[in-house]
Amino acid sequence: MRKYLTLFMLSWQKQLEVRSDFIFERGRSMAVLLSLFYLWSALLTNRTDVAGYSRDQMLTYVLMMTLLRAWVLSNITDRIPAEISQGKLSELLLRPISHQGYWATQDAASKMLAIGSAVIELSLFMLIVRPPLLGPPSVAGAFMFALSILLAMVMYFQMSYMLGGLGFWTAQSWGPRFCFEVLLEFSAGAYFPIDILPAAAQKVIGWLPFPYLIFHPLSIYLGKAGPETWASIIGHQVMWIAVFVLLSRKLWGVGLRRYAAEGG
Amino acid sequence: MPELRRYGRIWAALAHNSLRTQLSTVMASGGYLIGKLIRISFFMAYLLAIFDHLPSLKGYTVHQMVLFFMTFNLVDVAAQFLFRGLYGVKYLIEEGDFDKILTQPAHALFRISSMGVDFLDLFTLVPVGFITFWALSKIPGEISLVAGLLYVLLVANAMLIAYACHVFIGALSVRTHEFESAIWVYRDIMTLGRFPVTIYSDLLRGLFVTVIPVGVMVTFPAQALMGMLTWKGIVYALGLSVVLHLGAQAFWRNSLRNYTSISS
Repeated sequence: MRKYLTLFMLSWQKQLEVRSDFIFERGRSMAVLLSLFYLWSALLTNRTDVAGYSRDQMLTYVLMMTLLRAWVLSNITDRIPAEISQGKLSELLLRPISHQGYWATQDAASKMLAIGSAVIELSLFMLIVRPPLLGPPSVAGAFMFALSILLAMVMYFQMSYMLGGLGFWTAQSWGPRFCFEVLLEFSAGAYFPIDILPAAAQKVIGWLPFPYLIFHPLSIYLGKAGPETWASIIGHQVMWIAVFVLLSRKLWGVGLRRYAAEGG
Repeated sequence: MPELRRYGRIWAALAHNSLRTQLSTVMASGGYLIGKLIRISFFMAYLLAIFDHLPSLKGYTVHQMVLFFMTFNLVDVAAQFLFRGLYGVKYLIEEGDFDKILTQPAHALFRISSMGVDFLDLFTLVPVGFITFWALSKIPGEISLVAGLLYVLLVANAMLIAYACHVFIGALSVRTHEFESAIWVYRDIMTLGRFPVTIYSDLLRGLFVTVIPVGVMVTFPAQALMGMLTWKGIVYALGLSVVLHLGAQAFWRNSLRNYTSISS
């Protein structure tokens, strides 16, 4: 455990090495918040609700979505393909540490920083703009929301780690990954709630794992997903995690057999 | 004139190199291109879905909103196509290539910005063009020739402002050897122009037409095309771009005077 803790601390320090870059990086998330917050504020100027969302619910969705983008969608596993193609993986495989654990620890350090920054940014935003922010519907709802966020983080990490394994087959995996990230962000509800889309589009997106990263947890938080749906949401998240763990193991197993340590 | 031809040949040679690099990484380039097209499609889908529930936004119809969104894409994509090389100033400095460029018989800024001509972005302009014409055909009233010419003039003006921003960030890297993320902050701030700046609060609106001129770059051209921009606004936009351009050039020269080589 101590070695993971040391790795966590080292990773934390490394990310704060160039502080100007870190601050700029965090400043980026504010652009999404500002554009969507003011878009919905303007849309709801003379209305009490839109697409089944009250004004307060929609603005809370935008604010909470900013937090969840930092909590769930921040990750550093996109560096894995370069690690494989440059042969740096060999060095890590020789260390007395699990490779997935190595990245999970670094990812946790990155998330901790992102979470802390996102909370500060959002607090400042709330202090200046004073937007409405609804709380969860009940204590049980808050607990289920926290659980679904935790599962969403694990699910995204597994998904992302699995994709990192594409580096065994090509050094150009950043292209498909960019494509995947764009698809994921929109289908996860990281820009707009999915249920404002036409029913057919919602149905297609519903088959994907992505809505369980942001949209469904936020539906629990806003009380739009009642207690009767909680088991289904959590069950789906657990199922998708299992699927990605299995796929990831398979992919990494095959990949490691192909690995030729080029450049290492 | 011979000098212009010489620079034309330099640009063509560097653009040719970029194209060959992109063609040699088909999977990465393909994924990147598809991702960009997916992003535009999703934003369009969400925009149309929102306006299914609402008649207008601050007096703008859905087709006018699409025009703003497409103007944002046009300016953003064209700037990436032309100035992408300036994203990598810090990398050039770290690798020692910056020193080599400074000794070459071509203007360093021109040389660097032409290094990363991104042909993939040209492909994304095709759907942008089609959707723009579709939106224009749906907006009631004729678009006059003068309005069309003003649109072209103000988009060109936006490119000059975009170039000034790129030069300013490049100069910041020369001066500090940091701020790698600054260009991404610029890109994210640009995304605030997906919607007309009139939706933002008074303070932000003021900022977006002065210090962070995203409104001048995106909202003004679209407003001019729809006959909503006054002559005062047009003169202001042209004046601002000249001031920003001169300021950025002065900052670049000053940064070069203070530059210390670190890698050659």
